[in-house]
Amino acid sequence: MSRIIDTGLEELSVMLCRMGELTYETVSLSIKGCLNGTSVYSQVHEMSDALISMSDQAEDKTFELIARFQPVASDLRTIKSYMKIAYDFARYSRYALDISYINEQLGGLKECEEWITEYIEKMSEKVLNMVRTSIDALRSHSAQLAKTIAKTEEEVDKMYFEYLDKLIKKAPATSKCTISSVLVVRYLERIADHATYICESVIYLATGEKTTLR
Amino acid sequence: MSYKIEIQSLSAWFGSKQVLQDITMKIKENLVTAIIGPSGCGKTTLIRCLNRMHELTPRAKVTGRVLLDGEDIYSENVDPVTVRRRIGMVFQKPNPFPMMSIYDNTAAGLKLNGVADKHRLDGIVEKSLRAAHLWDEVKLELGKSGASLSGGQQQRLCIARALAIEPEVILMDEPTSALDPTAAAKIEQLIRILAENYTVVIVTHNMQQAARVSDFTAFLYLGKLVEYGLTKDIFENPKSELTEKYITGEFG
Repeated sequence: MSRIIDTGLEELSVMLCRMGELTYETVSLSIKGCLNGTSVYSQVHEMSDALISMSDQAEDKTFELIARFQPVASDLRTIKSYMKIAYDFARYSRYALDISYINEQLGGLKECEEWITEYIEKMSEKVLNMVRTSIDALRSHSAQLAKTIAKTEEEVDKMYFEYLDKLIKKAPATSKCTISSVLVVRYLERIADHATYICESVIYLATGEKTTLR
Repeated sequence: MSYKIEIQSLSAWFGSKQVLQDITMKIKENLVTAIIGPSGCGKTTLIRCLNRMHELTPRAKVTGRVLLDGEDIYSENVDPVTVRRRIGMVFQKPNPFPMMSIYDNTAAGLKLNGVADKHRLDGIVEKSLRAAHLWDEVKLELGKSGASLSGGQQQRLCIARALAIEPEVILMDEPTSALDPTAAAKIEQLIRILAENYTVVIVTHNMQQAARVSDFTAFLYLGKLVEYGLTKDIFENPKSELTEKYITGEFG
């Protein structure tokens, strides 16, 4: 016989994995839209709203599990981590929405020089890899995989500040590009932060160890 | 989802002392409903009214209606024995018949109901012990005394005995209060499994147990139904201040 709490934990886990996949699609779509200059705002908006609602549902479920099953030890760590991760997923989707909003309202990176779009594309790849790592680490509860994110997090942080430096030195032709590109790299950097938080939560739920990967 | 039992304006007395006051609630089929409340609030009396056991106590009285699948079990033309066959009960303290074997304990109700065919009895005994998740532990010693089992096993034997007569509803009166935590956890897991095929009503003084095992919870206080709803809602966001105070441990 399985424990009564297991059914609830499994439901929550399935819910989070579904959120993870949807966030990946959302972030990926908003980045593509921005790099290609195509309008994806309404689609991203819909996906983001769905993710916020799923995050609320996940939070409700964690409350229910705490109230009803008095979780302790690894169960309690799992529930606490899942609650934080659901929030992180919701944040991914909000940053994705912000990126697509910039594309929609300011024209995105259309007026930017090639070196800027190439730079942002490179940074996006790293960030999407981090999002994927966070989802896979969550699915497998692998602390080992989660720890690998630290290196890319450092690289993305470095790229963020390096971009600001470059921008000052090689001022782009239009202020639209300056504002759009700065905001996009800022949001990418924030998505990377949340991917790192998720990996920290995975390490905590799997081992009980509170780690900082930043 | 349909209602298995509908309790309508139910009141109960022991002599002149009223212990239940105008209880109205509907119990859903194939779910677990828990009844919680402080000692003496009428929890046990309420479930004993659901299979007409209350009236077995001298000077006990019941008014109101209890509908089982729409039919009032207190109607004049209803035989209480038939009611008790359809609504089985498991008590606080495991009470296997001490002089009987595990097999005979499980088959006791069937034999009382006139089932004599050995092949049929064998089949039902195995099925009931399996449903009570006891079969694997006792299948090689069915002739052993029921009293030789551990407390938790004895309680599962009593559950098997109740299941053997194929009831539709199982009433449980504090079924784990005499058990250690490990045996109690097994019974709780079993209750969840039983709810797939039976309607279960459990009385418990252990609020955490009600929260863990039930889908719906009723809170009784001084013989009155204070609040009844989804267990999730009762334990997360009770509507009544009295429920809030009880479940947060301010009284009781």
